Amino acid sequence: MDAGMIWEWIIKSIFLILFMTGGFAYVTLLERRVLARMQVRIGPNRVGKFGLLQPIADAVKLIFKEELIPAGADKLMFIVAPVITVIPALIITGVIPWGTSINLFGREIALSIANVNVGVLYIMAVTSISVYGITLAGWSSNNKYAMFGGLRSTAQMISYELALGLSLVGPILLAGSMNVMDIVQAQKTLPFALLQPAGFIVYFMATLAEINRAPFDMPEAEQELTAGYHTEYSSMKFALFFMAEYIKMIAVAMIGSTMFLGGFQGPFVDQLPWLGPVYLFGKVIVWLFVDIWIRATLPRIRYDKLMALGWKVMYPIALLNVFITGILVVLTTKR
Amino acid sequence: MTEATLINPLDTLVDQFPSGWVKKDERPGYSGFIVEREHLLEFARTMRDDFGFDYLSMVTASDYLAEGKFDVVYYAYKTIGGPALIFKVQVPREDAVVPSLVALYPGADFQEREVWDLMGIRFEGHPDLRRILMWEGFEGHPLRKDWKEPFYEEDVKPYKSRWPEGKPVNADDRNPFNDNVQYPTGFDPERWVPEAETLLYSGLQRTTHNEEFKTDELIVNMGPQHPSTHGVFRMVVSLQGEKIVDLKPVMGYLHRNHEKIAERNTFLQNMPFTDRLDYTTSMSNNFAYALAVEKLMGLQVPERADYIRVLMAELTRIMNHFFATGFLLNDLGVYFTASLYAIEERELILDIFEEISGSRMMCNYFRFGGVVRDVSDEVLKKIHNLVYDRIPRKLDQFDAYLTNNEILRTRCEGVGVLTADQAIALSTAGPILRASGVPYDVRRADPYSIYDRLEFDVITGNHGDIYDRYLVRVAEIKESIKIVKQLLRDIPSGPILAGKPAYQVRVPAGESYGRVEGPKGEMGFYIVSNGKPNPERYHVRAPTFINLTSLAPMSRGEKVADVVVILGAIDIVLGEVDR
Repeated sequence: MDAGMIWEWIIKSIFLILFMTGGFAYVTLLERRVLARMQVRIGPNRVGKFGLLQPIADAVKLIFKEELIPAGADKLMFIVAPVITVIPALIITGVIPWGTSINLFGREIALSIANVNVGVLYIMAVTSISVYGITLAGWSSNNKYAMFGGLRSTAQMISYELALGLSLVGPILLAGSMNVMDIVQAQKTLPFALLQPAGFIVYFMATLAEINRAPFDMPEAEQELTAGYHTEYSSMKFALFFMAEYIKMIAVAMIGSTMFLGGFQGPFVDQLPWLGPVYLFGKVIVWLFVDIWIRATLPRIRYDKLMALGWKVMYPIALLNVFITGILVVLTTKR
Repeated sequence: MTEATLINPLDTLVDQFPSGWVKKDERPGYSGFIVEREHLLEFARTMRDDFGFDYLSMVTASDYLAEGKFDVVYYAYKTIGGPALIFKVQVPREDAVVPSLVALYPGADFQEREVWDLMGIRFEGHPDLRRILMWEGFEGHPLRKDWKEPFYEEDVKPYKSRWPEGKPVNADDRNPFNDNVQYPTGFDPERWVPEAETLLYSGLQRTTHNEEFKTDELIVNMGPQHPSTHGVFRMVVSLQGEKIVDLKPVMGYLHRNHEKIAERNTFLQNMPFTDRLDYTTSMSNNFAYALAVEKLMGLQVPERADYIRVLMAELTRIMNHFFATGFLLNDLGVYFTASLYAIEERELILDIFEEISGSRMMCNYFRFGGVVRDVSDEVLKKIHNLVYDRIPRKLDQFDAYLTNNEILRTRCEGVGVLTADQAIALSTAGPILRASGVPYDVRRADPYSIYDRLEFDVITGNHGDIYDRYLVRVAEIKESIKIVKQLLRDIPSGPILAGKPAYQVRVPAGESYGRVEGPKGEMGFYIVSNGKPNPERYHVRAPTFINLTSLAPMSRGEKVADVVVILGAIDIVLGEVDR
């Protein structure tokens, strides 16, 4: 391990974090523009060309807003909660490969930060942490709406995590490895979404619930709970929750593209490794667009129905999917 | 009791009761019956059970200071249609107590509270007689004629002080602290704790506690600042988990004592003032007020004006129902998509209103005896395009995307159910009453203007749930389109106003009640005139205020998320609820 390698890691990590935060800013813009178009409106188009500077204006506004901490709040937890939520969202994509490797400044640089052999397990483990942040935020605010939001999100995330985890078992079985790179390489000819349609759909719905997006945005159900767990948050602390939600949206889109849509795989990617990130990026954008589209279209499902859907429909389907995939893999594998 | 008495009991009503119980109201300009206070309950029960006056539409009171007494006025109807049964109880001002009718007509609940709040008449036997519109620490009852507001100048407008030498002066600037600001004795705003809050919380129903599995009820205040209450409205909800145990609505945050102000105004000054009640349906409000005053004046409205009036009222209904269904979807959490599509057509209707009246929302378009401006052929052509092309297309779109939407159906079907009996007893009106299967529509039950010549159906639902209310609203848009098409076909030419336009109208002494089927329910105005330029008593039967009585019965046992939708399906506008 030489100094150059350490520098490479540091630069890649910083690039990833900047990419995710920058991505967050522009996903909000994308969402606002797309929603507006879908709702016969125009959307923000005044700040910069096509409103491209809008996220910067928003950030400046949020930084200069007053930070409020309610008198009855548990101060430490109140401050720690957004941090706990945002950090897992930032580090989750560390194991996602962006491409094979490219030659830059005479060095062979791998287009992934960590090529861990239990990458999928890492993803599952890190995603689960952020629920603590939300629960703590709801509890520490000393507000009934926030508490309800926190409680709901805990229940919702726990019940959907099972289906989410099980839906990822399919690709693991098919690729025979937990290494994300291996899973991507296994999809060279056929993306797993075609081999695992049930798993893919379960993954898609479970992630909507996991990242609290419509129609599963129970924890922050505006019409009932004002803003749910972040009712009492303002200024940058609020922005952190907001950031966590959107970064997680990008992250699950990235993970989903990698596990089911072939990740960076695409035509000519072997000859031109630069195309890898472009393909991945394109798939993520399409995924995000579908998320936004769903938000503009569907009413919210009621909480009890949501829990019933999670436990009575998605969980059994995911289990059955794992069972069938396992049998088929055993039967078709040549020894 | 003969068949004739049963069908038309009002002519021989006095003979049906022991002497002295019931008298005909013989004052000139007045109608109805005066019932002895002691026998009110028996009288009301007989009228409800034996004669079929099952729908208590309005309760109000008026103050006759000179005679030293209050009139408590009741308007009851049969849901099968027909004229009103008007009965009154006269009580002396010193001993203003009347038996409560809540046990017989639960829909009288909020209205009796309102009368107690504003007029200071105590209803004996009312389960929850608290102030409803004014704040809890308020001293006095503002609609009494001897109650003077801060900065009081004169009883009626126009105030002479505003025009000393023909120049306007604002009296508030000249003397900011007049001496008639009243506080309760010993009132200290720093230490004051509203007593009614504890009353409010302790009045909530509780479930019996489960010993084995310790749970506690949580009281949540939804509102006054809350994104889903459509304004400044508060629901005190006690929750068992996500389930609603009990709910109490709290209103009055936008209260401005509309009725007191209106009693200071002249009759014509009130026309634009009615726009501000339900600010989305100003044309219907104008219509009801114009009808009430015209009844007193005995005016005959020209044919063309009547057509224009009904045309505007129906366009208002189309607009309001689009608005209501769109925002119902918003309450379900669709994040504005449906509502923005729904109000696209509303904009076009508002364009029409702007063209004919000069204002998009505060139209102020009706006058006593007609309307203020004529409608040009160009506008009629625009309306023609709307009802033949754009609105039916939009309705088909609604039908295609919403009516069979899986999530919409699971969230709306069987939620917030109101049976037909409950809906009648709770005095609900409009789409809510009809969605419960009661075919009661003022346009058919008691036709006004030219509705008796028009061809349309009264839409009813079967289940009385939110989904049926949605269906009723969509179907009513179709019926309104049908009406507008007939009006466009038949509209005659001619004058649009009876007599000359006048700033000051002469209204003979007497009482009258004008009501229309507004988009949200029966919109009525109760007017008492004493021959002067200003109304002696002016009362609004606000449909959404009375429809809110049904909120708590509908919500009990439902989930938190449903309450928002139930409230959305009532379609309230707080400008009208709080007045």
